[in-house]
Amino acid sequence: MHDRASGDRQPAPRTTDVEELARIARSLRRDVINLVAPTGQGYVQQGLGAADLFAILYFSELRLDPLDPEWPDRDRFLLSTAHNTAIFYATLAARGLVDREALHSYCGDGSPFEINASERVGTVIEATLGSLGQGLSVGIGMALAARRRRSPARTYVLLGDGELQEGQLWEAALFAGSARLSNLCLIVDDNQMQVEGHIDQVVTVAPIDAKFAAFGWSVETVDGHDISALLAGLERARGRERPTCLVARTLAGKGVPSLEGLLAHNLKLPSPVAAKALSELSQIAGEGPR
Amino acid sequence: MMAGNDRTSLEVLDFTARDAAAAPAVKHYGEALVEAARRDPRIVCLTADLTLPTETDLFRDTFPERFHQVGIAEANMVGIAGGLARCGEIPFVHSFCVFATRRCYDQIAMQVAYPRANVKIVGVIPGLTTLLGVSHQAIDDLALMRALPNMTVIEPCGQGDVRAAVAAAAAHEGPVYLRLKRADGSDEPAPATSDFRIGKMQVLRRGADGLLVACGMMVAIALRAAETLAREGISLTVVDMSTVKPLDPELVALARTVPLVVAAENHSIIGGLGSAVAELLLEEGVDVAFRRVGVGDTFAEGGSTGYLFEKYGLSERAIIDTIKSLRQRRRR
Repeated sequence: MHDRASGDRQPAPRTTDVEELARIARSLRRDVINLVAPTGQGYVQQGLGAADLFAILYFSELRLDPLDPEWPDRDRFLLSTAHNTAIFYATLAARGLVDREALHSYCGDGSPFEINASERVGTVIEATLGSLGQGLSVGIGMALAARRRRSPARTYVLLGDGELQEGQLWEAALFAGSARLSNLCLIVDDNQMQVEGHIDQVVTVAPIDAKFAAFGWSVETVDGHDISALLAGLERARGRERPTCLVARTLAGKGVPSLEGLLAHNLKLPSPVAAKALSELSQIAGEGPR
Repeated sequence: MMAGNDRTSLEVLDFTARDAAAAPAVKHYGEALVEAARRDPRIVCLTADLTLPTETDLFRDTFPERFHQVGIAEANMVGIAGGLARCGEIPFVHSFCVFATRRCYDQIAMQVAYPRANVKIVGVIPGLTTLLGVSHQAIDDLALMRALPNMTVIEPCGQGDVRAAVAAAAAHEGPVYLRLKRADGSDEPAPATSDFRIGKMQVLRRGADGLLVACGMMVAIALRAAETLAREGISLTVVDMSTVKPLDPELVALARTVPLVVAAENHSIIGGLGSAVAELLLEEGVDVAFRRVGVGDTFAEGGSTGYLFEKYGLSERAIIDTIKSLRQRRRR
C-alpha cells in the first residue's frame, strides 16, 4: 500500500532532460534488437522507429506508478498498433512495469508476451488491441470515464499511419472532436510503412494533419525523433480544450544506419544482421563496439 | 391537419409498426434501465442515434451526465463501451439488434467478450419485426453472439421478464446480449412479478406428448399452438428458454420425458436457439424426434410482422404442422 496521495505521483513531465531521454531511447533500441534476434519474430523497423516516442511517453509524460499499476488516476496508454511489441515490452521492462527476466519468454509457447500485446501480460496492457482501428474508440471510453469522475488521468493512444485506413478510426476521430475530449492525445507514428510497402503505394492517407483539424482536433506535426519538439508538443496538448493529434514523422529502422529507411514490415534478424545493428547502435552512442 | 406553420401537432414514426387501436406503449425496458441506474451509479447509457426507439430517452432525461450519444457509429460505440468498462463503469449500448451485433462483431469480440468487459449490448427489433426491410432484420444475431466466448445471450418476453432481465443483466458481472421486442402497446397483460433468472428455463405448461422450446416472441405463439393442439388431444410441455446461452442443462431431463422436441425462434434456424437445443440434446444422448421452427436459410424482406411471421413460418400453424409431422414420422 502507498501513503502517497493520488496526484502526487509522478506529475508530468517526469523529466525533460533531453540527453537522458535520448540515452534511454538508444538503450531501448538495443533491447528491440536483442528481443527479436533470438526468434526472428517481431517488429524491428517499427520498434526502432518508435523508440523515441516510447522513451518520452514512459519516462517523461505518462503519470504511472510501477508499484501500483492499477492506480485509478493513472494515465492510460493504448498501443493500437499492438503488434509493435518489441519496443513496447522493452519500454515496460525498462520502466519497471514488467519483469525483465520474464521477457525472455517473449514469443514462446505459453508466454504472456505474445507478438500482439494482450492483457495476459497484466494491467499495463490497458486493452487488447491489434485488430486495427479499435484503439482510439477504447481511449475515448477511458477519457469519458475520467471526465465524469473528474480524474486528472489523461489517455494517450499511439497508432500507425497505415491504421488510419480503418474506418472505425474516423468514427472515433469525429466523436472525440465533437465531444472536445481535451484529456485525449493521439500520437500518429507516421512511418509511411504498411505490410505491402510505402503507404502511398497502397492508399494515401496524407494530409493527416488537415484531416484531423477538419475533425475538430488540435494538430501538430513534429519530427518523431526530435525529443525537445515532442516534449513541447505533449506539454501544449495538456493545456488545450480540444483533443490533440501529434503527427510524429518517424523513420523505420531509426538509429541503425544500415536499416534506416528500409520499409520492411516484418524484417527477420539473423544473427549477423542483429550483431551489426547492435554494433552500429553502440558506435552512435560513442560507446565503441561491444 | 396542420394549420399554417404550426408543426406541434405532427407526429413522427419511431420504427415500430403499432396497431392504431393499441394503447400507448409503456416503456418497460426504458423504465427498468432507469431503475437499475438508480441502484447502481456505475451504469451509463450509449446510443447510436436511436434514443427513442431504444427507449433510452428516459435514461437521457434522468441521468444526462451518464448518457452518451455517439452518433451513427456502432463500432465506435462498442469500443467506447469497452474503454468505459475498463474504468469501472457498466455501459449499456443500444441499437437495433442487427446493428448492435453484426455491424460491430469484431469490436464486440475484442473489446467486450475477450476481456469479459462489463458491457451490456441491448438490441431492439429482433428477427422479422420491421417494415423497413432486410437491412434492419436481425436473423443471425443470436448465432453471432452465442459463438462468442464469455457472452451471455438473453431474449426475454413479457414485461415482467423484460424488467427482471434488465436487473439481472445489470447485476451479472460480464458481457450480456439482451434481445428485446419493443413494447408496442399490444402486449398482453403480464404479472408484475417474474421468475426470470439468467440460465433458468421457465416451464409454462406441461404435457406428455411433446416439448416446445421457445424464446422471445415465439413463446406466446408456442403457447397458442399448445392450446390448439390440446383441444385435439395432444398435450405439450412449453418452455420459455429466455437464456439462449448458457442453455439450461435441465432441459435434458425434461426432453427425456417426451417423444418429440420442437424449438421455435424469431431467428434463422441456423445457429440460434434450435441449434443450441439440438447440440445439447444430441450430445447428452437424448433419443427424441427433433425439428426447428424459425426463418429458413434465407433472407426476408420488409413487411408487417404478422405477414412476415406467416410467410416465413414463425406461426402457430407452422408449429402445429411441425409437431404433427414429427408424430407421423414416429408412427411410421
